[in-house]
Amino acid sequence: MKFHWFHLMPYPYLPDGFREKYPSVWVDLPVKELYDPELGHHVYHEYLDELEFADQVGFDGICVNEHHSNGYGLMPSPNLMAAALARRTRNAKLVVMGNSVALYNPPIRVAEEMAMLDVISGGRVVTGFPVGTPMDTAFAYSQNPATLRERYREGVELILRAWREETPFAFNGTYTQMRYVNPWPRPIQQPHPPIWIPGGGSVETWDWCAQQGFLYAYLSFLGYEFARQTMDGFWEAVERNGLEPNPYRAGFNQFVGVADSDAEAEDLYSEAALYFFNRCLHIPPVYLNPPGYTSIATIRKSIPSMMKAGALMSASSLTWKDIVERGYVIAGSVDTVVDRLTELSDTLRIGHLMVQLHFGNLPKDSVLYNTQRFAAEVIPRLRPRFAEWEDHWWPKDTLAEPANPAPLPDTAPVP
Amino acid sequence: MTVLTRDTVELRGGRAQVVFRTGEGPPLVWLHAADGVDEGHPLVRELAQRHAVVAPLAPGFADLEELDDVRDIHELAMHYEDVIHALGLEGATVVGHSFGAMIAAELAAHYPGRVRELVLIAPVGLWRDDEPVTDIFAVPLPELPRVLYADPAFFPPAPGDGEVAPPDIEVLVSLARGMTSVAKFMWPIPDRGLGRRLHRIEARTLVVFGAEDAVVPSSYAEDFVARIADATAVVVPGAGHMVPVERPHEVLAAIDAFLAASPV
Repeated sequence: MKFHWFHLMPYPYLPDGFREKYPSVWVDLPVKELYDPELGHHVYHEYLDELEFADQVGFDGICVNEHHSNGYGLMPSPNLMAAALARRTRNAKLVVMGNSVALYNPPIRVAEEMAMLDVISGGRVVTGFPVGTPMDTAFAYSQNPATLRERYREGVELILRAWREETPFAFNGTYTQMRYVNPWPRPIQQPHPPIWIPGGGSVETWDWCAQQGFLYAYLSFLGYEFARQTMDGFWEAVERNGLEPNPYRAGFNQFVGVADSDAEAEDLYSEAALYFFNRCLHIPPVYLNPPGYTSIATIRKSIPSMMKAGALMSASSLTWKDIVERGYVIAGSVDTVVDRLTELSDTLRIGHLMVQLHFGNLPKDSVLYNTQRFAAEVIPRLRPRFAEWEDHWWPKDTLAEPANPAPLPDTAPVP
Repeated sequence: MTVLTRDTVELRGGRAQVVFRTGEGPPLVWLHAADGVDEGHPLVRELAQRHAVVAPLAPGFADLEELDDVRDIHELAMHYEDVIHALGLEGATVVGHSFGAMIAAELAAHYPGRVRELVLIAPVGLWRDDEPVTDIFAVPLPELPRVLYADPAFFPPAPGDGEVAPPDIEVLVSLARGMTSVAKFMWPIPDRGLGRRLHRIEARTLVVFGAEDAVVPSSYAEDFVARIADATAVVVPGAGHMVPVERPHEVLAAIDAFLAASPV
């Protein structure tokens, strides 16, 4: 099993009474009123420190992602974050769970930046292609939800062709026309880095991922019990397409808080977790369902669970008991965490686990504590799981001896 | 209750178009809004008393795959020209509401010869920074009636204490199809350049607004009238964006008077 340290980079200074005062954490949350860039300076550096620490203590991957116009996740450009991480990290793979391909014009920009990151990092990039949340795509970036998925698929096709074709070519798409497709540089990983598709449960994505050989990562904050229907749907698609049920085809993210005891976990983590669930996820239903974003097939299949999720999320205010019992957060002693994650990986058949050890406004000391204990005490006990399967969704061409940032001389040498 | 008959006509290139018909008399093409074509629609019911109303269903409303054939507003105008041609209604009277009025205006602007009389009821299609059109896609469903209607008689009753019935999936699917079809041509701002084409409209034009339209402010009536060569406006007091539902008789009277004044 592999373990990835996933950062959302929320804004940790959303005020008390947030839900009552502001209609949404996304789209129309007033930036001038609520975002302090000087505080933001320290926030970004602390968050990057945390990701770099995760590399140091042995996580397989560190994950960044793309969100726009919100206080939930401050990475409108995950590529900038990955670039910042590329020089101070050594081993962890850079799992870029953005880019929302339909938001780049032309999408070849994504091929360029991923290749740059792969070359700079010595072949450590995992490339995520999410459609993007409706808030990010349809509202913050005003993409037409009626055509978003078609535009996205076409963009992914263009990027993959750009990496796979041997010579420059022309691309005559519906949304992008390019006379000369020939992006420089090309990635170290040939023909391209592993492709991960972060999904929210759309039924057509399952068959597409299976057929294209992409990893499917289900990103939900509602825990593994809720995720079961979605992951069952994915595994059915894998079987339907005659493919082996390799657990490394799948990823899932989970909030985790490690402590000496369940009581200590509550002391350490409950305030920050509730900050996340009650402020960062404060999103009105109208932003979650722009017309066309969800296909008719997905509506038919998922209405009951979507309604349930909506009701769960719009509950006036969640308590620590709610979120622990429902599995949104796995928190407690090492034994508790190992037991629950074992159950999770069995239930969902997950080879790639993305853990969120920072959440909400958790202070950096607690984040590092959580990270160190997870790496030292949880990972070793779960590591052997799925050892019988080969992971085809992981960088293979990573340089054995990558360049290191050179020490800076006081003065330039005479050449 | 108006009886609507549903049939399918074949367009150029073999595509199928769903058309509803009701009533007898001189033909009148009805282009519906996001609410689709409904037997209970009070204005359609009234129009059918004196017209053979022909109501083509907008692309996507029956099947979202139809939208694949209509990439943009120009192809939408072409699509409707195909429809008018297939129905043999060149030179028709075309009446549209909201999204349907935008289509009617685009049809008349793209193909000035095809529409003889044009009635635009609460049309979308223009944009002014000083009085922006409301983003109906960002209005929470429970608040939508208060945005669409001005007359409180049309607001839903306050929810009681009883159990809320689970939503009917087919209703949700139908709503999703209709709103997706509309979004394709209205997202994020329902201005696809109509203002640069309105001068091409040769049809006699009547613009109707509810005075209290909270989607497209009634001041937009002046913008349509100013840019269309032969246009007049009627503003109905006490009504909102759903003026044909809220005040069908006033709208009908305006249309009657407008058509009666048509030169023979």
